[in-house]
Amino acid sequence: MNNTRKQLDRAQRESILGWGLILPAATIIGLLVLYPIIYNIYLSFFDTSLSGNNTFIGLRNYENVLFDPEFWKAVWTTLIYVVFTTVGTTVFGLIVALVMNKEFPLRGLVRSLLLLPYVAPVISVVFAWKFIFDPVNGLFMDLTVEKLGIFTERFNLIGTPSAAIWVTIIFSIWRNFPFTYLMILSRLQAIDKNLYEAADIDGCGGWSKFRFITLPEVYFVVGSIVLLRVIWNFNKFEDIFLLADNVEVLSVYTYFKAFTGSMEMGQGSSLAVIQFVLLIGFIIYYVKKVLKW
Amino acid sequence: MVKSKNISRKIGFYALVFFIVLFAIFPFIQMVSMSLKYQWDWGNPSLIPTQINIEAYKELLNIGQAEKNIPDSIKDLLDNTPDLTKDQRKAIIDKYKDSGNVFPFLKYFGNSLVLSLTAAFLSLCLSIFGAYSFSRLKYSGQSTIQRGVLFVYMFGGILLLIPLYKMASNLGLLSSQTGTFIALLVIYLVQTLPVSLYMLGNFFRTIPYSIEEAAMIEGSSRLGTIVRIIIPLSISSIVTVFIYSFMIAWNEYLYASIFLKGYTDIYTLPMGLRSLFVSKNAIWDRIMAASMLTAMPVIALFMTIQKNLVGGLSSGGVKG
Repeated sequence: MNNTRKQLDRAQRESILGWGLILPAATIIGLLVLYPIIYNIYLSFFDTSLSGNNTFIGLRNYENVLFDPEFWKAVWTTLIYVVFTTVGTTVFGLIVALVMNKEFPLRGLVRSLLLLPYVAPVISVVFAWKFIFDPVNGLFMDLTVEKLGIFTERFNLIGTPSAAIWVTIIFSIWRNFPFTYLMILSRLQAIDKNLYEAADIDGCGGWSKFRFITLPEVYFVVGSIVLLRVIWNFNKFEDIFLLADNVEVLSVYTYFKAFTGSMEMGQGSSLAVIQFVLLIGFIIYYVKKVLKW
Repeated sequence: MVKSKNISRKIGFYALVFFIVLFAIFPFIQMVSMSLKYQWDWGNPSLIPTQINIEAYKELLNIGQAEKNIPDSIKDLLDNTPDLTKDQRKAIIDKYKDSGNVFPFLKYFGNSLVLSLTAAFLSLCLSIFGAYSFSRLKYSGQSTIQRGVLFVYMFGGILLLIPLYKMASNLGLLSSQTGTFIALLVIYLVQTLPVSLYMLGNFFRTIPYSIEEAAMIEGSSRLGTIVRIIIPLSISSIVTVFIYSFMIAWNEYLYASIFLKGYTDIYTLPMGLRSLFVSKNAIWDRIMAASMLTAMPVIALFMTIQKNLVGGLSSGGVKG
C-alpha cells in the first residue's frame, strides 16, 4: 500500500517535471505557430485593410482567388516545379549515392565538396547562378551562342518566365541533391553484402542486381525522401524568389498578392489555407498509397 | 578483351565522378573568379582573372577606404607636414570620405550575427529541456507533444507569414526599430525550435537510462542529471543543433524582407545583399565578394561538424 502510493507520487512528480520542462517551448510554439494558423483561417474570411479594420466578407476571398486565372497558373507552375525538382533530385541523388558507395581515391575530399551546395546560404549562391545565365557576361550564353551555336543570339534567360522555371528547377536539384544522396548512401551501406554474393552465384548481371536487390532495399528511404522533398518544395519561397522572382509558384504568388500593390492580406490568407489543404491532402494520399502505413 | 572493357569502365566511372563534382562546385568557382576580376574582364569567359582585383573585398571589409579618394596632392601635404595635430588630420581625411556610396557590409554582417546567435542560443536552451521532457520522461500527453513537434516542423515560411505579420503589427512592434528587431528574433527562435526539439529528442533517446539512474541513486535530482550527465554526454550533438539553428536564422530572407522594410539600419545580410543587387547595376565584383563573405562563416562551421553531419541529417536536422 505504502509502496504503491510512493510510486504514484513518483509518477506524478515526473509528470509535473515533464510538463514544466516542455512548457516554455510549448507556449512559444502555441503562440507563434498554432495560434497563427487559426488566426490565418480567421483572416481568410475578412477584407483586411492597412488601417487594421477588418470586415467580414464570408467566402468572397476564396471566390476571388478561385476565379482568378492567375491563381490556376500559379498552381500549374507549382505542380511543374514540385514534380520536376522532386524527380530530378531523387534520381540524381540516387546516382550520386551509387557512385559514392564505391571506393576510389580522394573520396573524402569529394564528399566534402559535394556538401557545399547544400550548406551554403541561398543568398550567397543565387548571384553566382544569376551571373552564369547573365545575357551579357554569362558563361551559359557564351557557351550556347558563341561556342555551340544552339541559339542565334544572346537573350535574358532568367528574364523569360517560361525558361526561368527550368533554371529554378536545376538550381533546386543542385542545392538539394547532397541531402538525398547522403540519406540514400547511409541506407546503401547497410545492405547485407551476402545478398549480392548470392546474386553473383546465381549469375545475375549488374542491372538485375540493382533492380532486384538495391532498389527494394532503398524503397522506403527514397519514399520518405520524396515525401519530404514534396512538402519542402511545395512551400519553397527563397530559392525561387531570389533567383527568378518572375516564376510565380503559389508561395511567390501569395507573397506578391499580400505584400505588394493593394496588399490583399485577406486573399493572401485564403491562399495560404488553400495551399495548406492541398499539401495535407497530398500527404495523406501519399502516406497511404506509397508508404502503405 | 575483358581488360579493355574494365579500363573503359573505369574511365567512365571517373568521368562521372568528375562531372558530379564539377556540377556541385562550379557556381562557387564562378563566384570566386568573379569576385577577383576587374570590370573590363567580366566578359571574358575564362574562370581565371586576367589580373587579380581585391578592391571589392577591401571595400566591403572597409580596409583602406578612408584614404582612397584623397587626391595625391593632399596626401603629399599630409605626409610632409608633421606638425598637424591628429584632429586636423582627421578633419582633412573626413572631407574626402565618400560615405553615400559605401555598402555597409560589416554592419549587416553584425546584425545577422547578433540575430542568428541569439535566436540559436535561446532555441537551444528551450529545446534542451523540452527535448529531455518528451524523450525521457513518461507522462500523459507526452506522445501528443512528440507528434505535435513533428507536425509543427512542416509549417513555416509562407504559410505563417501573413498572420505573424498581422500579429506583430497589431502589437505595435513594427512601428519601432527595436520592436521590429525583437519581433524578427522571436520569429527566428520559433522557426528553429521544432527542428532543435526534434533532433535533440532523437539524440537524447540514444543515451542509456542506466547512466542516469546511477546518478539519481547517488542522490542527484532530475535537473541535476540534465546538467551533469545529459548535456556533457551529448555536447557534440548540441553543437550540431546550435549550428543548424544558426544557419536557419543566418539564411532567412522571407520574413526579413517583410519585417525590415524601411529599417535599413537593422538589415540582415540576405536583405542587404538583395538590396545591393537590386539597387545598382554592374557591380558583379562586389556582389560576388559579398556572397563569398556571407557563405564563409556557414561553410566553415559546417566543415567543423562534418562528422556529425550525416547523423544529424538522418535524425531530422534539416530544413528545406
